[in-house]
Amino acid sequence: MPSPERAGAARHRSATCGGCGLVCDDITAVVGDDGGLERLIRTCPLGDAWFAQRAGPRPPAARVDGREAGVEAALDEAAAILGRARAPLVYGLGQTSCEAQRAAVALAEAIGAVIDPAGPLLDGASGLASTARGSSTATLGEVRDRAEIVMVWRADPVATHPRLLERLRLPEAGRALVVVDARRTATAAQADTFVELAADLALEALSTLRAHVRGSAVVPVAGLEPLGDLAARLRGSRNVAILHHLPGHVEALALHALVRDLFGVTHAVALTLRHEANAAGAENVLAWQTGYPAAVGFATGHPRASPGELAGAAVLARGDADAALVVGSDPLAHLPPPAAERLRAIPVVSVDARSTATADAARVAFTTGAAGVHRPGVAHRLDGVPVPLRAVLTSSRPSDEEVLAAIAERVARPGEDAA
Amino acid sequence: VTLRITGGRVYDPANGVAGDQRDVCLSAGKVVEEVPEGAARIDARGMVVMPGGVDIHAHIAGPAVNAARRLAPEEHRADVHDRSAVMRSGTGGTVPSTFVTGYRYALLGYTTVVEAAAPPLAARHVLAELRDTPMIDAAFLVLLGNNVALFDLIRRDPARVRDAVAWWLEATGGYGVKLVNAGGVERWKRGRGDVTSLDDEVAGVTPRQVIEAIAGAVHELELPHPVHVHCSNLGVAGNWRTTLDTLHTLEGRRAHLAHLQFHAYGGRPGGRLRSRAPDLAEYLGAHPEFSADVGQVMFGPATTMTADAPVSERLRDVTGGKWVNADTEVETGCGIVPFTYREKNYVHALQWGIGLELFLLSRDPWRLVLSTDHPNGGSFLSYPRLIRLLMDRDFRNDQLRRANKRAIQRTVLLDDLDREYTLEEIAIVTRAGPARLLGLRDKGHLGAGADADVTIYDERADREEMFATPRYVIKGGRVIVRDGELVEALAGDLLRVEAPYDPAVDDVLRDRFEERYSVQFDSYPVCEPWLLEPARRVAAGRPG
Repeated sequence: MPSPERAGAARHRSATCGGCGLVCDDITAVVGDDGGLERLIRTCPLGDAWFAQRAGPRPPAARVDGREAGVEAALDEAAAILGRARAPLVYGLGQTSCEAQRAAVALAEAIGAVIDPAGPLLDGASGLASTARGSSTATLGEVRDRAEIVMVWRADPVATHPRLLERLRLPEAGRALVVVDARRTATAAQADTFVELAADLALEALSTLRAHVRGSAVVPVAGLEPLGDLAARLRGSRNVAILHHLPGHVEALALHALVRDLFGVTHAVALTLRHEANAAGAENVLAWQTGYPAAVGFATGHPRASPGELAGAAVLARGDADAALVVGSDPLAHLPPPAAERLRAIPVVSVDARSTATADAARVAFTTGAAGVHRPGVAHRLDGVPVPLRAVLTSSRPSDEEVLAAIAERVARPGEDAA
Repeated sequence: VTLRITGGRVYDPANGVAGDQRDVCLSAGKVVEEVPEGAARIDARGMVVMPGGVDIHAHIAGPAVNAARRLAPEEHRADVHDRSAVMRSGTGGTVPSTFVTGYRYALLGYTTVVEAAAPPLAARHVLAELRDTPMIDAAFLVLLGNNVALFDLIRRDPARVRDAVAWWLEATGGYGVKLVNAGGVERWKRGRGDVTSLDDEVAGVTPRQVIEAIAGAVHELELPHPVHVHCSNLGVAGNWRTTLDTLHTLEGRRAHLAHLQFHAYGGRPGGRLRSRAPDLAEYLGAHPEFSADVGQVMFGPATTMTADAPVSERLRDVTGGKWVNADTEVETGCGIVPFTYREKNYVHALQWGIGLELFLLSRDPWRLVLSTDHPNGGSFLSYPRLIRLLMDRDFRNDQLRRANKRAIQRTVLLDDLDREYTLEEIAIVTRAGPARLLGLRDKGHLGAGADADVTIYDERADREEMFATPRYVIKGGRVIVRDGELVEALAGDLLRVEAPYDPAVDDVLRDRFEERYSVQFDSYPVCEPWLLEPARRVAAGRPG
């Protein structure tokens, strides 16, 4: 036990927030005498909610069929489900540490599963575009210190990444925040320039902007008149950063083409405003272990990627998965209805630090010690920078990584009695 | 575990052994003088025994490598690696997945690899990939040549640079210091174009000042590996002058030049490349404080990836194909362009020829060692072919005849340059030399006390076949490859330097951090034991 003076001094602890893709590492967690979280300094509302979901009252560490179970018994049940599945799916991964993601890929390989991060569904198709053509990106500090124009393209970070503008030191004299969107969002309200753009014109708008940037012939489209001026401003700026959250593959390719052409004129980068804290990590871990960032199947004994065919939502919607392991994700809250329906029909193992709809409906649910609250770990911020998640509270619950490793161990020796 | 390798022809240049038939004894992970009667044996009669290979310059882990993987689904689809009882699955191509990188290095007889370009801010990512790269001991070099916080120290508080360099190594788990186009990347990120001379101004300093200050710090710290320099103007006609100017600036200190081939070009800027390999080989020969790896290009697929992002911008305009640019705050840039070297192409053939010229004109194999700057000049899997080019004159001449004629005429390769590397020289340029240049005293030799990393080849006339498929590979005393098959997977060590510094530098850096980085000063140093261990520390300071 620490002495009272020491305990007093240690009550303020450095913390990292997993509330969104910004992964702010300047948080202070104040820990009460009872060992619980008393308050947080510098968090935004999303951050407060993120900590509350993990530090507040939660379901028991392990449940089977909705009823509290011993962790060992639940591990046995989880291993039995995944071990006998013929076409298991491993899904999610955006809200856990790189260490757990690493364990999830190992387990997916061992059981011949399809593994797919939720990121491509939640954050749009820019990953596919970057595989096809590449990308130009930068870390947040680069955008903050160099971008003369920050253009937010059809996204609303004031709502989804509440501290983004603060972290980019916007507004600031000499730098412009330009927002292009279909409606006057909270972010638009803070912009120097707001360009209203009908949602169904997004693709035409990117092509038109690109044509202006290249100086090629522009087909006039009603509603896109302001883009000529915008292109001139982009061309005249020394450094442009485009922050976006694009839904479609074609739009993502068009944005990439714009950035690439702009790069011939000025320095230009683009960043996807990823929602989940470690969505970037999920794709990075999968890429370094398999060569592919998403939609990877291990059924043939080696990784095979097929973004349309093996995306988690597609596998479920086709009825191809006969069991699922969901890690750090709540797919029942975000999957399209046909996929969600299938997920309800098959045995699911959920591994998550939060209580989720998916966990509540799962055959086996582990509610774990959270990376960033109870356990250390690493997350890759939306710009790819690896940031340490820190343990500010204690918990006897196993971490995501430990649960996954324990399942993998049981799957590897199926004949033995775990007791 | 004890083992006697008996009857093989041993090449251990560091200990003056050149093909003598003798036994090599291993015990508890080390080479020893003797093992007891009855120890396990490998009958190596008819075989060649060498220390495990040491790759001084490759790109195998970190955000740039991983971004390159994501660009290459076609390559991965065509080159799959199945899971087995001992191996994880993965994919290959010019940028293999982590597990496959480790397995393939081991299958090639390499047991130590240096990742040559780690952005310090991404150290956790680099370390996590190395953790998933089995079989090899690995070290990485941290990029410090475009660090604006260091520029600021160089201008205002130069006496602190040495401590700051040591701090960065300690904070990241790094082994040595890399300069990539010092100042040039930062200048380019500012929209002012690449540097053309070492005296161009960037953020209040010049490339020359940066090179002097950081090389000086590395020298004073007595790091086991000297400053590792990627010169400015990579790939540009006439860049040999920049290379010589860099070497003049470094004189009096030890330094290692990365991928010298890419920096050995004559010709007028903007004009056709010419070879200046003979001049640089001559200069290197006369300056024992300097060393280089060649950065040979090999015809076929490659992936260019570099912290020298302006180079990638030029290359993307050559290929018009996939291209990644990634700016890292304070520290560096990064560019990636998949590339194919074609033997009929003048520039590619000349690059290939210049690499061979450097090898064949080299007077001291200990100081000009083998690399393809994997995967920039070609995959590490092409090393056996490169070895054959060096060892087999007839094969080389046959290849020369197939390459672009005008390019080859610009080299001295057809001027009765009939040198053939010996097995001893190959052992030097692929293990003994790199280990010595890295200051890894337990690597690259087979004297008592060395790490028990041993590669055993069937002696074959076709040197490419011989070096492509070692018969046995032993790592830390354990047989990991037997009859060309990987039989055991194991984790290698992280090799990191231990260089003491004045802790007061923390406060000096803290102020500069809060201003420039988007992470907290206290978040920056890697402290996660699972990322840093198992590690072996190599102490700075002169060997006692």
